[in-house]
Amino acid sequence: MSDNKKSFKKSRIYVVFFALVIALVFSVLITTAATMLKPLQQQNMALDKKTNLLEAAGLVPEDRKPSPEEIKQIYDTHIREVHVDPRGQILETPAGNSLQLYLIHTDQQVQGYIVPISSRGLWGKIHGYLAFEQDGQTVAGFSVYSHSETPGLGGEIESNWFQDNFKGKKILNASNQLVSVGIAKGKVENLPDKLQDHYVDGISGATLTGRYLSEGLEETLTKYETVSIIFRQKKGSQTHVETILDE
Amino acid sequence: MHTDLSHYKEILIKGIWRENPVAYQVLGICSALAVTVKMSTAVVMSIALSLVAAFSGLIISSLRHWIPSNIRIIVELTVIASLVIVTDQILKAYLYDISKQLSIFVGLIITNCIILGRAEAFAMANNPADSFVDGLANGLGYSMILLAVAFLRELLGSGQFFGFSVIPQFLYDMGFQDMGIMVLAPGAFFIIGLLVWLKNSLPGVSHEKK
Repeated sequence: MSDNKKSFKKSRIYVVFFALVIALVFSVLITTAATMLKPLQQQNMALDKKTNLLEAAGLVPEDRKPSPEEIKQIYDTHIREVHVDPRGQILETPAGNSLQLYLIHTDQQVQGYIVPISSRGLWGKIHGYLAFEQDGQTVAGFSVYSHSETPGLGGEIESNWFQDNFKGKKILNASNQLVSVGIAKGKVENLPDKLQDHYVDGISGATLTGRYLSEGLEETLTKYETVSIIFRQKKGSQTHVETILDE
Repeated sequence: MHTDLSHYKEILIKGIWRENPVAYQVLGICSALAVTVKMSTAVVMSIALSLVAAFSGLIISSLRHWIPSNIRIIVELTVIASLVIVTDQILKAYLYDISKQLSIFVGLIITNCIILGRAEAFAMANNPADSFVDGLANGLGYSMILLAVAFLRELLGSGQFFGFSVIPQFLYDMGFQDMGIMVLAPGAFFIIGLLVWLKNSLPGVSHEKK
């Protein structure tokens, strides 16, 4: 009897059978965990995106961590998501080639706008937001909500010192041409004077992350240039959120 | 006789100190380099790895009489990978900020040699309770080194402890600068090397005379 048992345990059937059972048991375990935790994870992700959007716009109190309700409330009162066609007209329903952007408004008066960034990174995509002031050329803030850069190196793109760098940078040069904002190699103060407005301090040990992000920013800003032009033309004048992008 | 407390204590001391996975077995170095820039990531990584090591030891050891020896590595990896994925899912649900910082390194617990090493060397040959303690001990041994490295790197590299600045401003005014190399991987190499040296030169723990 025990001999039989031993030879069965050495047979191929047993090996295959055992492998199948193990695979089944553990896939059930993983699926259960993933399905049960999914709502919580999605909630976290949605909240994180909103928080980052508000951070880019400079609407989050910096000295403390706001509660989820607070984030939602600030978002609802100050942000409007719109889709525009490549000429800059607001669309009722998003179309294939429409651009997504967020208007920042206070009491229905437009204060600026936020452009979603999706850039190549070293290990994966970098997703974030770049906020502009009403003049269509001054950066109001930058934030990153998802990336797979190396923690401590490229991962520093989500740290405050790096993101605060972007505030006040210009995407236009002296002759009003789009030059985007780039990530410098090293400190900005070592660059020539006329470039300092268009670069932010780089991260040591993350040259490639910086290079890819610079490229991604330039690509995105070129795409959104039509929108930025509309803002530049209306510079200074108070504009209602409904009419900002109508000509 | 083998179930009394001193027996577990023996396994614990062996895993944490005498045969410390990083300092003695020199396993798990790559993650020790990667997640030790800051204390907060190192702490979560330590907890995650210790739990995975303990439970994979428990599960693999309970299955050890049924696991066919020709596919045992695959089975061990299945168990470990499943536990890691579940851990990652839990982190994403309850500690979203930290899981974002750890990013790929939680997934890389699967390839951490400590866990597969203990599964293969200990759990396949010992009873479940011992294996659980052994996994936990090795996880804690790894954690100890990880936290020591992270403490030194965060302090010297960014002048912080758990994200709070601890180096007084007047030192910076006097010309003190954060050591850039500590933030980079070579800094971790130096510190781990020095720690291994320190540990092995302490009286009574040298392995060279064996």
